[in-house]
Amino acid sequence: MLIKTREVNNVIIFDIEGEIRRSESMQTTLHNQVKSHLDRGRRNVLLNLEGVEFIDSFGVGEILASYISTQNLGGKLKLCRISKKLLLIFQITMLTKVLDIQEDCECALESFDKP
Amino acid sequence: MSNGRLEKFLNRFADVRGHEAHAALYLSGFFFLITFTFYIIKPIKESFLIGINPAWWPYADLATAILIGFVVALNARLLNRLPRRTYISATILFFIGSLFVFWYVFDVYLKSLVSTPVADSSGGIFFIGLPLAILKAGIIPVFVFSFWTDVFIAMSVTQFWIAVNDVFDPYQGKRLVGLFVTGGLFGGIAGSSLAALMVFAKLISAGNLLLVCPVILVFALMMVNLVYAEQKQLRETAGAEVDPVQAGARVGYWESFLSVKRSRYLRLLAATLASAMVAGALINFQFKFAVKNVFSDTNDRTSFVSMFFLGILILSTVFHLATTGRILRSFGIKWAILVAPAFLLAGSLSVFLVSLGGLLAWASIVRGGDKLFDNTIGQSVRELLYIPVPADIKYKAKMFIDMFVNKFATGLGAGLYWGLYRLSGFAYKDPIANVRELGILVVVFLCLWIALTRAVYAEYPAVLKKDIRRKWIDGDKAVRQHVDVEQTLNIFNTIQSRERSTTLYYMNVFNLVRGNDLAPELKELLGIKRDEIKARSMDSLLDVGGGVFFPGLEETIVDAEFQSEIDLIFLLPSYQEIMGKRLGEIVGSDSEVDRIEAANSISRMVPNPSTLRSLERLLQDPSSEVVTYALGSASVHRRVEHIPLILRQLANPMTSQEAQRTLAAYGSGIEDLLKSALEDDGESPVVRRAIPEIVARIGTQKSADILLDELACRREDMEKELVDALYEIRSGRPEVRFREKLVRPELLFLIGKGYEIFLDQPVPDAGARAALDLNIKRVFNLMALLYPPEDIVKACQNILQGTRKSGDYSLSLLDDLLDRELKALLFPLIEDLPPEERVQRMKKAMRLK
Repeated sequence: MLIKTREVNNVIIFDIEGEIRRSESMQTTLHNQVKSHLDRGRRNVLLNLEGVEFIDSFGVGEILASYISTQNLGGKLKLCRISKKLLLIFQITMLTKVLDIQEDCECALESFDKP
Repeated sequence: MSNGRLEKFLNRFADVRGHEAHAALYLSGFFFLITFTFYIIKPIKESFLIGINPAWWPYADLATAILIGFVVALNARLLNRLPRRTYISATILFFIGSLFVFWYVFDVYLKSLVSTPVADSSGGIFFIGLPLAILKAGIIPVFVFSFWTDVFIAMSVTQFWIAVNDVFDPYQGKRLVGLFVTGGLFGGIAGSSLAALMVFAKLISAGNLLLVCPVILVFALMMVNLVYAEQKQLRETAGAEVDPVQAGARVGYWESFLSVKRSRYLRLLAATLASAMVAGALINFQFKFAVKNVFSDTNDRTSFVSMFFLGILILSTVFHLATTGRILRSFGIKWAILVAPAFLLAGSLSVFLVSLGGLLAWASIVRGGDKLFDNTIGQSVRELLYIPVPADIKYKAKMFIDMFVNKFATGLGAGLYWGLYRLSGFAYKDPIANVRELGILVVVFLCLWIALTRAVYAEYPAVLKKDIRRKWIDGDKAVRQHVDVEQTLNIFNTIQSRERSTTLYYMNVFNLVRGNDLAPELKELLGIKRDEIKARSMDSLLDVGGGVFFPGLEETIVDAEFQSEIDLIFLLPSYQEIMGKRLGEIVGSDSEVDRIEAANSISRMVPNPSTLRSLERLLQDPSSEVVTYALGSASVHRRVEHIPLILRQLANPMTSQEAQRTLAAYGSGIEDLLKSALEDDGESPVVRRAIPEIVARIGTQKSADILLDELACRREDMEKELVDALYEIRSGRPEVRFREKLVRPELLFLIGKGYEIFLDQPVPDAGARAALDLNIKRVFNLMALLYPPEDIVKACQNILQGTRKSGDYSLSLLDDLLDRELKALLFPLIEDLPPEERVQRMKKAMRLK
């Protein structure tokens, strides 16, 4: 998994590529990266999953932990460009009831300004 | 004067901030001039009233009570039709004009009746008709003037508070109320001093004194116009629209009444104020009797009344400056609200011990106390009680209460006096008997006042909380509401396992189906539906490999008989014997998939020594996938000997979350082991930081005590995890108690850490601001252990991320909720203060601590 971070309009965007899964080679987890931004006062996080092919139970745990940490500080964590396959699993497991999943990143960025 | 200098000056009287200094000054000046005028008019009115027979006294108050309703209606109509600034200006101009009319009546017309009484040349009619003419001409103007004075004070004070509400939000109002009350008190002192001096020195007649008032009111007119002009300029600069309440509100007398009727809180508030007013009116009659008993000469009586007012106002000012703020800060509204009725009750009961000689002194103390508390703490408390009422409802309700309820209560007091006067033959009794009979009624209304005061206070926090909404719910709660996390993770594991092996996949499917009534969509997703086409389409959609499904899988796998058969196989001694040997081989296998299958199947095996040994090895497997499945099995068997191995997995970010879930599944009974690991300095910091979350999930009383003990060690790197864990227990387990003597020092320590950030950087940069926000969040999380968590969370969220108004309401809520010491320390950290003042307050608070 490769994560690149950028900031647009006060939103921290994580562009993720590859598979979000358990891997012995992983240096740091997604949740730790989100937490470090929250500690620096950032409150809006967007996970761009365009390049993500697969998510395992560890990856889902990381996304949920990131959501909980952001939400507890009054922030917003959203997902965008998720594949149809993953969206289907997210819908069936009711994760879409909790996670705000937008079709494209621009819409997601705009939605951060709305209450 | 610059904002800074003006702010410094005004800060002697109240907590005034730079941007509000000018408006605060103008409004306190406006209030000063209103009370200045009123305290010139009031002795004149009293002087005229005392001059008439006591039997006539109640009629003035009754006239006010009956007629004030019409004035309220007119006032409401004016409020509806005119912009606020025009409305206030027009009413002041009306009062100025009518003062000239009264001056003409009292100083020109009535005197002309005395100086030109020639009705016939013989003078016969003069001697018979003059007293009648003066009586007729004198009493009616006195009643009219008395009514006009009541209207003047009621309307002026209401308009003043409406202007305050227009300019300031509730929390600002609460801070500035001291300044306004000071302005009012100084105005009263100036007015009554002027009146007393003029009368004593015989420089001016009472009638001519009325001509001084228009001049003062012209200045009041200027002050209020300055306030609204400044507000208009500020709104234009900010590009804001006109306040909708000011612009388009349509409020009538009936609507004002309904606003009170609809709200239980306002009804109670109105009843409280009414009972206080009735008691005050009756005390006033007691005072009049006492004065009349001692002073038969009108001039002496007038001088005494003037000096009495002056004395009360001076005492009120001293009392207000020295104690009002202190009482409110130290005891809050809860006790401040009781000061006046408790004092008056004690005073009123003592009337039965007083002799005729001490009657005037007694009456002066009781009426003086009534006026003193009314001018100071009573006024402050009244305004504070209005704070939780929404602005639009507040000004309607205030108008109704101030201009109708209060006057009605005064009228009721007068009616009760009238009834008592007629029924018990007051005219034939000595004054001490009259005062004591009135005293019984006073005590009844004081008791009612106290009872209603408690009822109002009981409603106060609830009304305040209505305006503070929770801005977000806790993340874990939001997840739990919609998602079965355990099942979701199992589903993802199951899908992933199809890539690895058919056996593993079936194991996972079996586990899922056994424990849950799966939704059809989920069965479809997992390929256990009979519909081959659907299964295939799903298969290609998910793009996963793995084996081919057997037709009829769905029926078989959900069959209870089938499930029990599998359980029986696991229990067979021969199976256990074979698998015991086989497991040992598989665990040592090079194949990760084999080891995963073994780790998974152990969860269903009988925990004999060989199975548990295998699980022990699997918990130390180099593959985090294997360990994850082994942790799942460990959570089923829950063996104490596995705990050290599981704790080790907390250090691995790939297995940490699963290890936390596994240890939490052990439940109560492992707290001591976790405590040892938590306190072990040799343990990895990552492992130690993961433990509080596990302890919180176990959530016993012992868990809370362990976390608090650890927090007391003040290890910087553990602070966040410990506070979060304690808060988690608090929000999920209301039965758990947190010892204040353990929580409080840590709470104060955390507040002190916030102070350090501000004292280091009075204007914090982004990094310091972020650190402060986290610190404040932790302070509130700890406070939630001692106070109602929902209130604390709401206050925290609105202070950190709410609007200015919701932040102010939150501060009011905390002001009501927290104890004195905590407030003194916390408020400099969370209030919106200029940097210099914040530093000053923090230093002062630290000295107090």
